Amino acid sequence: MKADVINKSSNRVDGYEKVTGKAKFGADINFGNQLYAKTVYSEYPRAKIKKIKLNKAKKLDGVVEIITAEDVPGTNEMFGRFPVLAAEEVKYVGDGIAVVAAESQEIAKKAVKLIVVEYEEIEPILDMKKAVKDTKELVHSDKEDNIIEHSHHLMRKGDIEKGFKGADVILERTYYTPFVDQAYIEPEVVISIPDPYRKGIEIHGSIQNPYSVQENIAKVMDHKISEVKVIHSTIGGSFGGKDESVMMMAARTSILAERTKRPVKMVLTREESMTESCKRHPYEMNYKIGAKKDGTIVAIQDEVYTQGGPYNNKAMFANWRGSVHATGPYQVDNVKTDYYGVYTNTIYGGAYRGFSAPQTVFGIESLIDELAEELNMSPKEIRLKNCLKPGDTFATGQKMGKDNIPIPLKEIIKEVCEKADYEKKVKKFKEYNKKHSEIKKGIGISCTLRGAGLGGEGIDTAGATITIDKDGSITLISDLTEMGQGMRTAHAQIAAETLGVSLERLSFINTDTSIIMDGGPTVASRGTLAGGQAVIAAGKKLKDRLKKVAAEKLNCDKEVIIIKNDQVYEYDNVNNMIDFDELIGVCIAEKGISLSAQGWYNPGPEELSEETGQGNAYPTYVYGCAVTEIIVDTKTGEVGVEKIIAGYDIGTPINPQQVKGQLYGGILQGLGYGLMEEFEQKEGYLKTDNFDDYLIPSIKDIPDINVILFDFEDDFGPYGAKSVGELGIELVAPSLVNAFKNATNNRIREIPLNLERASLGKNLSK
Amino acid sequence: MDFDFLQPTDLDEVCKLLNEYKGKVKIISGGTDFMIDLHKDELSPEIEYIIDVSNLRDLNYIKEDDNKIIIGAGTTHNEIANNPIVNKWAPVLAKATNSIGSPQIRNRGTLAGNIVTASPAADSVPALLVLNGKVKIKTSSTTKEIPLEDFFIKPYQSKINQDELIVEISFKKPPMECKSGFKKLTRRKAVDKARLNIAVLALQNNIDEIEILRIAPGSITPTPERFEKTENILLNKRPTKELIKKAAEQVSSTMIEKSGYRWSTEYKKPVIKTMTRRILTRVLEVE
Ligand SMILES: Cc1cc2nc3c(=O)[nH]c(=O)nc-3n(C[C@H](O)[C@H](O)[C@H](O)COP(=O)(O)OP(=O)(O)OC[C@H]3O[C@@H](n4cnc5c(N)ncnc54)[C@H](O)[C@@H]3O)c2cc1C
Repeated sequence: MKADVINKSSNRVDGYEKVTGKAKFGADINFGNQLYAKTVYSEYPRAKIKKIKLNKAKKLDGVVEIITAEDVPGTNEMFGRFPVLAAEEVKYVGDGIAVVAAESQEIAKKAVKLIVVEYEEIEPILDMKKAVKDTKELVHSDKEDNIIEHSHHLMRKGDIEKGFKGADVILERTYYTPFVDQAYIEPEVVISIPDPYRKGIEIHGSIQNPYSVQENIAKVMDHKISEVKVIHSTIGGSFGGKDESVMMMAARTSILAERTKRPVKMVLTREESMTESCKRHPYEMNYKIGAKKDGTIVAIQDEVYTQGGPYNNKAMFANWRGSVHATGPYQVDNVKTDYYGVYTNTIYGGAYRGFSAPQTVFGIESLIDELAEELNMSPKEIRLKNCLKPGDTFATGQKMGKDNIPIPLKEIIKEVCEKADYEKKVKKFKEYNKKHSEIKKGIGISCTLRGAGLGGEGIDTAGATITIDKDGSITLISDLTEMGQGMRTAHAQIAAETLGVSLERLSFINTDTSIIMDGGPTVASRGTLAGGQAVIAAGKKLKDRLKKVAAEKLNCDKEVIIIKNDQVYEYDNVNNMIDFDELIGVCIAEKGISLSAQGWYNPGPEELSEETGQGNAYPTYVYGCAVTEIIVDTKTGEVGVEKIIAGYDIGTPINPQQVKGQLYGGILQGLGYGLMEEFEQKEGYLKTDNFDDYLIPSIKDIPDINVILFDFEDDFGPYGAKSVGELGIELVAPSLVNAFKNATNNRIREIPLNLERASLGKNLSK
Repeated sequence: MDFDFLQPTDLDEVCKLLNEYKGKVKIISGGTDFMIDLHKDELSPEIEYIIDVSNLRDLNYIKEDDNKIIIGAGTTHNEIANNPIVNKWAPVLAKATNSIGSPQIRNRGTLAGNIVTASPAADSVPALLVLNGKVKIKTSSTTKEIPLEDFFIKPYQSKINQDELIVEISFKKPPMECKSGFKKLTRRKAVDKARLNIAVLALQNNIDEIEILRIAPGSITPTPERFEKTENILLNKRPTKELIKKAAEQVSSTMIEKSGYRWSTEYKKPVIKTMTRRILTRVLEVE
């Protein structure tokens, strides 16, 4: 079937609102009589709270209410141990101690400074390795160690000892990655208002995952879930970040709103956002790899520590994803993997585009290159030799192959290398480097496979509701959130395609937890994959109803009714037709048919063993390969990325332009990760808390990027689409350090590859 | 914080207000440094009045006479970088100002603002130092001119009193045959403060001997200054690779003499040497 609406680069359905400034972001939303809230943050990375003195602040004109941990009506512990406000002990510099609600932002700011907290300092636990070994010093005294609950995930395949015995070479390497920020343009905003019509609370804001906020706030407020209504505002980027922080903000403002019976608004400054919101988990990846002389990998063992901070509600999921992908896109018979999340008194790790992949892919793709060097093989050949092919089994024992899951890695690597002129460039740069003693050029490869959707992390259910109005206009409500990624447009295209109508009919509304079913979080590149299926299901229900009425009207069988391009007609008898709008009129006015339908998608759980990690981790996978060219000034450490050629199989693109946008964006964030991004902390204090010190790539750092889209047939997802959101970020950092090795003969095992690492081989800290 | 925001229309009025509100007043020009202090609550709590000079035509000009270039204190970096007089007589300054921040910052940020802030990494400063720039300062009753070299006290503190207004920055036209260069090293390619920067101005006679040489590295000393000891290594000589190497080493060791061994020294020591060597090699056209 030829597609009419999908696989086209149509304009965004929310483009008009964004371009004209009509779209309201959280900070633009105001309610009458609202108060402004501001949090008092901890002054120490770890300390006992002895006394909180509120008197002076309370007396300040315009201060209406101040709350502390004592004022939390329900539980003060949300998912992942996050407190609404610290009660006895502060465990990192982002812990909130009290919150002020005042008549203006300025007054709130003044009041926060008037609150005096007396502490008794405790030596903070900062080093991840020490936290693992030393179980006398605990971040949480009710635990026996500093390992985050349910964060140990493992993989056991084959016989690891036998595997290494059969190896001709064995390498052991450790790789490190830092805390990094999502760096969205819009800092977090939440406004809570007492529900004007009934008992309960209404929450607006830049909220990525409305249902988890709803559920947690219900517990904090001692309400029923149905009494908490969450509506997300237009979101200015999130990438996984607007989750824990907005949950805490929603809890604090909800308590204040109920106590004052007034709307309460909280907008974070950039400094607060950087201190309080989640980061990408830093990893320490200890790898051991064994291979035959011909390059065949026979065993991989890895022990990975992921830094969680004092509270964490992601390590248990991200570490599972990491453990599945730890051996990369390679056929390895013998695998032993262990991932552990670790509590520390530092800023905390959470979701950021990739969810373990940027770290893991950096590790494994560096390791493969090191193995190639050791064996004197080309980085391309070693990948072609070991990459998963039809019939191979993934680390989880899952069978990959044509009848099951397409596995086109070999094709993608070959084609990307060809487009990049890889072999010729390797030679050319070698010549160049011989002639130039200070400036060097290099080229590096990396490739990846990524499980699409949640997989074994949880059930990948999602819902959508489509309603057709009297005039034929259509409202699509997805229960997943638009954060700028373009999900709405993809869903609208899928709805229009399914219904057989033009995209112009489609309109959207923001997610409101009170009118839709909990469709899970908008994460794991599942918006199109799972959400799109729900849209198809809703569309099909409606189409069936329309066809029934059309068949009666056109006097023919329902099965031969075609709805296409806003026309409704009999197959093979095009003249027997009725206009779509007219059919809607008939349905509503003459027949009383409901033209609202909910679609629900439930792929069922994935089957995996907890003891071995073996099983089918994901229903399908997406793939990529990138070749990066760099130029290095070995004296100053300046690294310029000249060119990135990257090929991806993400299934059929619903909107090719948006798909490329996602990939370009991911590539740039990956570039920042590889080259410059990093939070600096000293003794538990955050040194980097705004964009003057936390550098992300500027327009001038952007290289020539060439994205190639492959579309190998895979009918698992909606109209052949799979996942795209996170894939783009994975490949840049590893191909960059591989190119750096190619250029300078120096291997960097810790990113970012900043001036100091590139010139001295190590970082310097203040 | 609440302020009275004043927008006087001429220089005399500015000076009058500065005098009247002495101790309670601060000037805002492009605001690109000022607004950050405000945001971080780093303005002195005594401040009650802000005087905006950004719209004053009397501070915004680039002029030349027979032997001088005179730049109004409120001239923006973009105006300087794109000005034909500056590009003809002092391309080193055009290059330096063009390296500042982003187009938006260069459209707001001014020359006086850059020097008053006295950041050790300020980009216009090394260029102005090799041009032997002078700062003209006015109060309601006096006018004085001091060399830029003497303008800085310590990092982020310059010799300007609360009742003083910088009105212009000037320098003598270097001989037309002078060659110059400016180089800035950053962590990313735009909108970034200098990790290191350096300006050089040189004149060689017809047998290649160096008659004028001025070297001003930035970001390596508490306050930017010319490295005269280094200049002397090459002055009155024909430049050679060896001499340049010696000069580069000298910059490096002078840095440590003046700044001590800091966390960043391990990086800056070899890199400023390389940058000095490269810029001297390029400007002096040594093979
Ligand atoms: C994003 C960003 C990037 C930047 N990048 C760079 C860079 O790459 N290189 C660099 O060197 N700087 C950089 N800066 C710093 C800044 O832009 C410059 O220092 C600029 O020249 C300041 O000028 P201004 O007119 O904005 O000063 P303002 O902020 O208005 O004032 C700065 C100080 O100067 C005083 N002042 C201003 N005019 C006068 C006057 N006529 N007489 C007396 N006192 C006066 C003010 O009272 C204040 O103390 C950057 C700043 C930002 C925000």
